[in-house]
Amino acid sequence: MSAGRFLPLAGALALAVLGFFLPRLLGGSTLVYDTLVVIAIFSAMSYGLDIVLSDLGEISLAHTAFFATGAYAAAILTVSYGQSAWVAMAAAILASLALALALGLITLRTREFAFSLVTYAAAIVCMNVASNWDFLGGSDGIVGVPPLDLSIGPITLTAGQSFEFWPYAYALLLLTIYFVYRFRRSSLGQAALMVHMNPRLATMCGLDGNRVRLQVFLVSAPISALAGWLYAFQRSYVGTDLFDTYFLVLMLTSVIIAGRGLLLGPLMGTALLMSQKSFASLGAYGDKLVLGAILVAALCYSPRGLAALWPRMRRGPL
Amino acid sequence: MNLLQQVVNGVIIGHAYALVAVGWTMLLGAARLVNFGHGQMYMVGAFVAWWFMRLTGLPYPVAVVAAVLVGALIGAVMQRLLMRLTLSRDLVSLMIVTLGFGQMLEGAAGLTFGARPQTLTSPFQSMTLHFGAIWFTVQDVILVVATLVVFLALRLLLNATKFGVAVRMVAEDPVLTRLAGIDIARVYMGIFAFEGAAVAFAATLVAPRTPILTSMGFDQVVTTFVVVVLGGIGSVGGSYVAGLSLGLFTALFGALVSPAYTTAAVFALLIAVMALRPGQLAASANFAR
Amino acid sequence: MSARLEIENLRVAYGASQAVAVDRLVVEPGTLAAVVGANGAGKSTLVNAIANWSRAAPRVEGAVRMDGEDIAGRAAHEIVKRGLQLVPEGRGVFMGLTVEENLREGAPSDAGPGRRSYSIDDVYELFPRLRERRSTAGGSLSGGERQMLAVGRALRMAPKSLLLDEPSIGLAPRFVALLLRTIRSLVDDGLTVLLVEQNVRAAMEVTDVVHLLERGRLIASGPVDEMRDDPRIVEAYLGGGHG
Repeated sequence: MSAGRFLPLAGALALAVLGFFLPRLLGGSTLVYDTLVVIAIFSAMSYGLDIVLSDLGEISLAHTAFFATGAYAAAILTVSYGQSAWVAMAAAILASLALALALGLITLRTREFAFSLVTYAAAIVCMNVASNWDFLGGSDGIVGVPPLDLSIGPITLTAGQSFEFWPYAYALLLLTIYFVYRFRRSSLGQAALMVHMNPRLATMCGLDGNRVRLQVFLVSAPISALAGWLYAFQRSYVGTDLFDTYFLVLMLTSVIIAGRGLLLGPLMGTALLMSQKSFASLGAYGDKLVLGAILVAALCYSPRGLAALWPRMRRGPL
Repeated sequence: MNLLQQVVNGVIIGHAYALVAVGWTMLLGAARLVNFGHGQMYMVGAFVAWWFMRLTGLPYPVAVVAAVLVGALIGAVMQRLLMRLTLSRDLVSLMIVTLGFGQMLEGAAGLTFGARPQTLTSPFQSMTLHFGAIWFTVQDVILVVATLVVFLALRLLLNATKFGVAVRMVAEDPVLTRLAGIDIARVYMGIFAFEGAAVAFAATLVAPRTPILTSMGFDQVVTTFVVVVLGGIGSVGGSYVAGLSLGLFTALFGALVSPAYTTAAVFALLIAVMALRPGQLAASANFAR
Repeated sequence: MSARLEIENLRVAYGASQAVAVDRLVVEPGTLAAVVGANGAGKSTLVNAIANWSRAAPRVEGAVRMDGEDIAGRAAHEIVKRGLQLVPEGRGVFMGLTVEENLREGAPSDAGPGRRSYSIDDVYELFPRLRERRSTAGGSLSGGERQMLAVGRALRMAPKSLLLDEPSIGLAPRFVALLLRTIRSLVDDGLTVLLVEQNVRAAMEVTDVVHLLERGRLIASGPVDEMRDDPRIVEAYLGGGHG
């Protein structure tokens, strides 16, 4: 391995290790742990949207539904069927893939404007079904999700309180970021970018645009679903509030605010937004106002994100 | 259950849908703007009327005027914020900005009006009219008549006035409109102000039917989204027909099939239409019809 | 009502690539000047930049003076109000509006001193065909009718100078002749016109001055009688066989 490749790798590893100890460096209070756990989970959720938004260039408004699918899968399997968290994880991935496949096929021929509208409508159908179907808990949701238990044979891996939760949330975040990193270097990631930037050239290169779009959509859904899966254990209940516009706005803002296509963009965006909520809260309404204002300001005044304000920091497709 | 009564309810709800949708229809037809903040603008309209009545003690009709004026102001503020994106026709970014704008309105309304449910009291809500087995309120009659008047007036405005034709020009080709010596930013200002005023007006007429909450925006107008899209992207006549049909559909589906799944059924219908006929969403030159 | 149009050091760029660089171009009051050149020479970019109007938002620098007043950099609709009117290439009319609506809207109620205003009837006098089709939607007109309507719309704005971008494109020859003759008559009445044309032969029939544009630069200018014999024009556009 040459020095040119070794240095970034070592840097990334050092950053990853440092990140693990971040809650302790910040004082280790419950509030710090809670905040960082939620940052890790919501970042992972946002990465699902990120690869559709940044790489494919489409704005999906259905990723709250994938997030909720993961959470509901976790809650139903552990509470209603007494299954393990691992089984629930598999179910979260499969259920989100099934939903993404259905939605992907429906939206295959729609682009931009229409794509966003259809995905939005789909999320509303999901929400309406969730709040009325008893199997999904109806409007009360499902309460009493047990503590996370990922024990394998003799190895005990459990988490109930927030400081116990941190390693799992952090692991999910690192895996997600690594996955997105690999995705962007994969042939599918390259194809997505080409379909996005230059559809005609993509067709000439023999790429089937619809196929690429469907594949990217399928890849993105389980990312948000896994975040939902972990969130169900952290919060110990699921309900229709998971479909709330709040999560949608949070995701969109996280992806856009730092700069589209930046590997750490969604993480930085989520961290900024959740830190405000935890450490500088203005109350539920004030926070809503702040979140909305940040999204509006970002798109109206710096649509390429904060990173565009420091041109040299910018890397990525744009 | 009395089927005829359901039809009457459907007609009333249908007019409510159409009236709530009319500003958005104009916005969508003329500026291609999907306004996800529409629901929160509706909520603010209802609360401004309630607040005005409580502070001043003036009667309901005056509060309606006050809410309409505040609504127009909110629309104008929105236009200022969105000007650059509107002029560059960045449709998807516009759509997301309105999500953020809606959050801002909801947060601000929560801070101003509090979290408790309130009632916007209209004296006409308690006056009922009975005809054999069916009944409705004077408020319902006002709602239906006001909707018809607004739609007819809008049609007249678009087809027979200088401003209306400028709106149609902007809807078709804003860049070319500049060559007619028209300042398109001002046309957009009028369109956005109309959206704000119209949704506030609708809110003051519809909201007395139920308690109002600062979190109600989304639930109250999610169906409006279907009305404007199914109505043929910003076609004025189309959205009236779509509103009325949807009102009848919800009333009858709710009565005969399942009230709980009505929204899901409506949206499934919408998805089917959009997926099967994406062309439906293309720009329409018939927007003034 | 006629104006002297004067363009100086006009530079138009899309991103890093410069599309037009014209040092000086003057259209004397009440005359017709034609800018001719091959496809892609920058003719449309040039007239669009003069009117500060474009769908692609290029970067424009330089001075555009009408009767001495610099109007460069003003918003497109402001420039229109000052009496410089562009008829853009292709779709210059609103498809969803009827002929009469197209002609009715935007026109100033009082154009101000020194400007001739055209009533809708004046436009119908000029193009009788439009009167017959007054209730037809712009989208249902033939190409020639559309171009007449575009010119009529422009006249309704009471311009002092008119910029015409490829009015003959896609038209049958008899329409081209009719349209250019009408434009010539407007010039004879005192309008200042800058015409961009690919149909060089037709443009030569009506114009006073010819400018040859190549890769965004004016490489030759002169009265039409001189330019008729200019080898660069003869060779490239008139096929050497004019007479």
